Amino acid sequence: MKTDIISTAILRSHFFRRYIANGMVALLTFASLPQPLPAASNTAATQIIYFYSPETNINNFSSLKVEFDTYLSSFGAYEFQPFSEQATFEKFLGETSEGIFLISTWHFQNLKTRYPLKPVLVGQLRNRSTQKRVLTTRHDTSSFEKLRGEKIASAGSPAYTRTILRQIYGKENPDLIDSFKIFTVPKDIDALMAVGFGMATAALTTENSLIKLARINPKQHGLLKKLGTTEENLLPIVAVMGKSGNESQELLALMQKMGEQAEGEKRLKMLGLDLLKQLDDRELGMLGL
Amino acid sequence: MRKDMITKKIEALGALMGIVGKRALSATGSVVSRASNVLTRINGVRSLCIAFALHFGLSATAAEPVIMILSSDASVNKYSIAQDTFKETINRVTIDVDLGAESATEPIVENIILDNNPDLLYCIGSKAYFVAKKYAGDKNLVVTSAINWERFKLTQKTFGVANELPTGMQLTFFRYFFPEIKKIGVLYSKKYNKEWLEQTIADGKDVDIEIIGRSVARTKDIKRALTKLLPKVDAVWLTSDPIVLAEKDSIQMIFSKSDELKIPVFAYDTAFASYGAVLMIAADIPTIGQQAGNLAQELLDNSKIDEKFQSPVGSSITLNMKKIVEYGIKLNKDALDSVNEIIE
Repeated sequence: MKTDIISTAILRSHFFRRYIANGMVALLTFASLPQPLPAASNTAATQIIYFYSPETNINNFSSLKVEFDTYLSSFGAYEFQPFSEQATFEKFLGETSEGIFLISTWHFQNLKTRYPLKPVLVGQLRNRSTQKRVLTTRHDTSSFEKLRGEKIASAGSPAYTRTILRQIYGKENPDLIDSFKIFTVPKDIDALMAVGFGMATAALTTENSLIKLARINPKQHGLLKKLGTTEENLLPIVAVMGKSGNESQELLALMQKMGEQAEGEKRLKMLGLDLLKQLDDRELGMLGL
Repeated sequence: MRKDMITKKIEALGALMGIVGKRALSATGSVVSRASNVLTRINGVRSLCIAFALHFGLSATAAEPVIMILSSDASVNKYSIAQDTFKETINRVTIDVDLGAESATEPIVENIILDNNPDLLYCIGSKAYFVAKKYAGDKNLVVTSAINWERFKLTQKTFGVANELPTGMQLTFFRYFFPEIKKIGVLYSKKYNKEWLEQTIADGKDVDIEIIGRSVARTKDIKRALTKLLPKVDAVWLTSDPIVLAEKDSIQMIFSKSDELKIPVFAYDTAFASYGAVLMIAADIPTIGQQAGNLAQELLDNSKIDEKFQSPVGSSITLNMKKIVEYGIKLNKDALDSVNEIIE
């Protein structure tokens, strides 16, 4: 029942902020953490795939969780747990001693010195395990310098977006990169269209998304040009922390087979992947291992 | 310690205020409830309290612009989401007013607006806009979630974010999800959407989709128009045309007739999921709040604003897999990376 003009709004606001700040799914996370089973039980503990990516503005948590849980649970006591906030995810990492983590390569590079994560699998899309990120503008933007103070649309977190821009433009432009207003949108394709419709001056997206736009809407694509490109970076990886028991091995094997089955492939597509495969030496080298 | 300091500031400000309607600040956490209690005691009537708040430790200074958020009804989820992302984006002290509260009578709201004399009002929903226009029509007004804003008489200083994604963007998604759907039918009224249809037909060509429009002047024309339209199209696109959507029965009929022929209906809001819409492409509410926050900041900076009403740029997509399987529609599986919600 409504009572207040102002305090109602504030209390709701506070709840919402907490809800978001702590990671929308974190609420679900802890509610759904595996409960320790009695030692006498022969039932294996639930194995969970923990997921977080600063590269995409994942806002379909409930669907991801439901879809992956439905799929995984048909093979055993497996669950999928997405996180919405980097801080919450990292706090969880610091408090756990084992688990399977689906994370972005960029994030792994930041985590690998702090946590004993061992990369085992990598995502693949159209037979490639790497992708480039591109900075796209309209044709009338002649140089990177012209973007000073402008709005850059990106589906990645602001920290991630700035890191990638530094990767593209090196260290000589720190103040320029700091001057950008990062405009977070839900999807790469939104970012590209934000530029097309004049709501942002540039977009940072994967090169695949730009190719996709060219295929779907050549006119929109025609309004855009690439201003900069990153080196090839690996697609998301699966890393294991702690003891990798039989159950973990079985789950990893299942993850590798997902792309071969229609139902598994459908779930991976929701993450923008065709399949997960074992990392080879070249790919491990790209991770600095 | 920090909280104590903030609380002291709040208490001091509250004591200075003394009556309803003086300048207020917004806040979070325990500070809010403590501040609310203080002000409740001061005002004596809880329903009239204005909570002082310090948004993440920001302190109010005389130079701070006064930003007021008027929500048509803060209990509406999409309004509260827009409000929160606006606040996160603007990252300044705000005064939050819930017009949906029982105690939000017009004289009280008028007092709050006049006494606080805001520099800018963020109006969420049509009701909020009309209130702001009436009592602060000379101020900068940023409006979102206002249905039919196109038909409002806007003040010179009214700016905002529209409710629906640009048609070109929606068509791009139609093409992305269903590459084999080439002909999309639209029921529309010439009175409200003649120009819109012309633009949409042109946008459709960009993505190789033919838009077939069938006009309706009155709600009772819908059945006949639909009967003529359905045999010619691969899908029906339900837009927010006031004539087409005037009656619930008509909406139900559009869905049931389309369902009989296994023709998918695309819609602009997830509210149509229960009717059996196959693809719903709505504007992403947090992105709208963020856009409103950016717009407000630009107005406070006296930046030049090119467009009075921006298009929303973030999308929120719901896909009904159950209907896709039932109708045997070919879905581009790669497009699943863009789905926010799947209905199984």
